[in-house]
Amino acid sequence: MSQAFDKLLDARGLNCPMPLVNARREIARIEIGQVLKVVASDRGSVADFQGWSKVAKNVELVGQETEPAEGGNVYVHYVKRTA
Amino acid sequence: MAGHPEVELWSAWDLLERLERRGEFFVLDVRNREEFSRFRIEGRSPVPSVNVPYFEILELGGQDDMMDSIVAYAERDLAPTLPADLPILVVCAKGDTSLFVAEALRRLGFAGASLEGGMKAWGDHYAARPVVEEPGLAIYQVSRPARGCLSYVASGDGRAIVIDALRHLHPYLELARAKGFTIEMVIDTHGHADHISGGRALASATGASYYLHPYDGMHPIDVLPATIPYEFLRDGQRFPLGRRQLEALHVPGHTLGMVAFRLDDRFLFSGDSIFLRSISRPDLGGKAEAWARLHARSLRKLLELPDRIAVLPGHFSGLDEADESGRFAASLEDLKQRNDGLVALERLNEEGFVRYLIESLPAFVPEYVEIKRVNAGLLAPNEEDAATLELGKNACALAQAYAAASGGQL
Repeated sequence: MSQAFDKLLDARGLNCPMPLVNARREIARIEIGQVLKVVASDRGSVADFQGWSKVAKNVELVGQETEPAEGGNVYVHYVKRTA
Repeated sequence: MAGHPEVELWSAWDLLERLERRGEFFVLDVRNREEFSRFRIEGRSPVPSVNVPYFEILELGGQDDMMDSIVAYAERDLAPTLPADLPILVVCAKGDTSLFVAEALRRLGFAGASLEGGMKAWGDHYAARPVVEEPGLAIYQVSRPARGCLSYVASGDGRAIVIDALRHLHPYLELARAKGFTIEMVIDTHGHADHISGGRALASATGASYYLHPYDGMHPIDVLPATIPYEFLRDGQRFPLGRRQLEALHVPGHTLGMVAFRLDDRFLFSGDSIFLRSISRPDLGGKAEAWARLHARSLRKLLELPDRIAVLPGHFSGLDEADESGRFAASLEDLKQRNDGLVALERLNEEGFVRYLIESLPAFVPEYVEIKRVNAGLLAPNEEDAATLELGKNACALAQAYAAASGGQL
């Protein structure tokens, strides 16, 4: 499965809360309707991006993937700016 | 971590110490709600706590800058709830996010502290307490306080037997080194469902023999044999402990291969048969009613042991079960008076007691089927999966054991 995106945020190696903090910042920098792809190595980010997208009024989580990588899985989140 | 010079850090040791001596503090847990409902900080008495996921704090704070957002949310939405005169321990999954939130609380004048290593460190924290230290006999209770798991190291003459070793090996290796013990035997009282056993791995690391009852060398739901090597434990088998002997008592019920160990008339390593507040559940093999009958008969057999024998259980359900020195132990006589399950056993006939057991079953935990696979060598999870599987407090006892143990939530 590959999901289209407009901007890539590499948050690998970052601990909580930085993947989400950086995603919040980047979302403000893309256009409404565009999709931010976030790649993280912290497994906790999966539930956190789900929770965040429910609370935030300007984002929608349009996809999540887990991909095997060297040194452990990476967790990919596609976040669309909606407002 | 640099950048939070004002924030007081509590280690898992600090936390345990405060929980044991009922030090007053307040918990702000910033993990997501599912994690909080599965695993939270509990003490001898209820720990007042509030759960607000950090992503809600960040988002609802409404500011672009992270710290500005946290401070804004804390000032507007948390401050009215938080006590001004108590330490506020902020906890998260791994101990990073809690630093930022604790710092925000500090800026607002609260005594914000952060749990070092987060709930991961607390869940993996071990404590070792002497049960007896006398010439010719030493017994240590090694616990994982957050999970309510208990294990034992016993030695008579420098050669040690480890009973129900938990997943991490360092507590046993360090204790053995500190006391000058050689670990020669490692025994699992049964095939565990709530936690990943360290038994086989500890035996391999020390060159010890590893024992398990063969009935538990079979996964009860998969009906597949264990792939790990083990020596057969059998009823009545004796293991030398200095000049004394540990005697195996086969007490099926919680599992088919459940074995308790008696040391003279002094100690009963009860495994998951009798706990202090209650008794074990008989349903984790998927055959609740059939095993409940076995359980009733096994428990009656244990009740015939001398009243003064000290029961050393495999689990506790609340820190309030510990004595003043933090040990979990009680005489059989005492338990006959106050243990819910044993009181019911003495009051009811077999049919009635089986019904009591079935009606007292807590919710089935799906992870437990998987954990039994790991313990039989049928699955080998990585560290992260292993930690996720055994997250939270054990649920091996009847439901009554947990009713009193959960804390207050705001």
